[in-house]
Amino acid sequence: MRIIGLALPLVLGTTLSAGLGAQDVGARLDRRVSPEVQRAVRGIAADAAARGLPVDPLVQKAIEGAAKGVPGDRVIAAVRALAGRLAEAMEAVRAGGLAAPSGAVVEGGADALNAGISGPQVSDLVRVSQPPYDPALTLRVAATLAALGVPAKQAQQLVETMITAGRSPTDLLGLPGEVQAGVARGATPTQAAAGLARAAGGPPPGRAPDWVPPGQRKPRNPHKP
Amino acid sequence: MTTGYHPLVKRLLDGELSLAELPPELQGEGEEALRLVGAADRAPVALSPALEERVMAVVRRHAASSGNRAWRWLNTPRDIELRLRVRPWTVWAGALAAAAALALLLGRPAPAPEPGPGAQARSGARDSVFVRFVLYAPGARRVAVAGTFNQWDRSAAPLLPAGTSGVWTTTLALPVGQHQYAFVLDGARWVVDPAAPAVDDGFGRRNSVVAVTTRGGQL
Repeated sequence: MRIIGLALPLVLGTTLSAGLGAQDVGARLDRRVSPEVQRAVRGIAADAAARGLPVDPLVQKAIEGAAKGVPGDRVIAAVRALAGRLAEAMEAVRAGGLAAPSGAVVEGGADALNAGISGPQVSDLVRVSQPPYDPALTLRVAATLAALGVPAKQAQQLVETMITAGRSPTDLLGLPGEVQAGVARGATPTQAAAGLARAAGGPPPGRAPDWVPPGQRKPRNPHKP
Repeated sequence: MTTGYHPLVKRLLDGELSLAELPPELQGEGEEALRLVGAADRAPVALSPALEERVMAVVRRHAASSGNRAWRWLNTPRDIELRLRVRPWTVWAGALAAAAALALLLGRPAPAPEPGPGAQARSGARDSVFVRFVLYAPGARRVAVAGTFNQWDRSAAPLLPAGTSGVWTTTLALPVGQHQYAFVLDGARWVVDPAAPAVDDGFGRRNSVVAVTTRGGQL
């Protein structure tokens, strides 16, 4: 699959996680899922909304199950499991220092958990995602790396290395593509990610070799009095 | 061909070394190389004056053709001096008119998005990126892509066959963000994209993942 890029503002993961009231859930599910599934999902969504969790992913999961012809009881079980994962993600994100995370961050955390990244790793990723890094973006990049076959710990470390090295959020977004390119050249996901981590250790393109990322102590200038 | 010769033998052929300067074990190879090169006909080639005259006559005829003269006239750069005498208010009026026309053009409201599946991508066109989906499915009669971007609608985004090669493609405008999707073959069979990462879909199958970024990265 190829993506034809356009120059547009840098935003990630906010579109799908727009807030969805529990009262809208019924309307979204109407004629898409069976009445039994609709009733159950409405209950799960109401409970999730009361806990401050995003509801849209739950509705999407129910619609997906119905579209795939999955039996109703399995759809309900999958929606319930997703709600549990969102709650776990919320907890991990809060442990990372975000007291009131947006739906996009929680959803990103749930995606990361689903891809094999652990709760403490999600917390660590949120902790390092200080502005200009969006935690939702960081989590999704890590999740995609893990889905590509990069071990969870290595995916987390690669993202953290990029942030510590002061690489731009755009560079962060390009990581999965770089890993895929490496795999296409014959490397394993682990090898490709290791190569990117080594490259991230150096200065960003266009910077002097002794460049120090913003916020880090610069070496003393001997020419200054 | 000298590619098989020892580097010292090549230097011998280049005149940088004499045969006596080669190590004894290479002298045989050197002699053989010199013999082969010596056998080549190195007589200088002399062209007859008549040939040169014939070639130049053709060139002159070509240069003198009317089409060529016209092309040269059109293509030759010239200095053109243009003098304009304008009053300042006409310049300002022209600039204002141009600015107004530009504002009118850029400020024109976009057509309202159509309701139903797929509207999400269209309504978010400002933050959308065109994503091309490709699947090799030679036996399929219909192929579509369904995912979080079109409410998993099996008929919202059909792929078109590229000739009879078995390759199916479509390009969709997707909102920036991460999306899960799968291909639907003949309206019933769900398959993951072999060229994309995949995650557990919660139903015992896999979904492909695409992270749409403004950089146009590939995931």
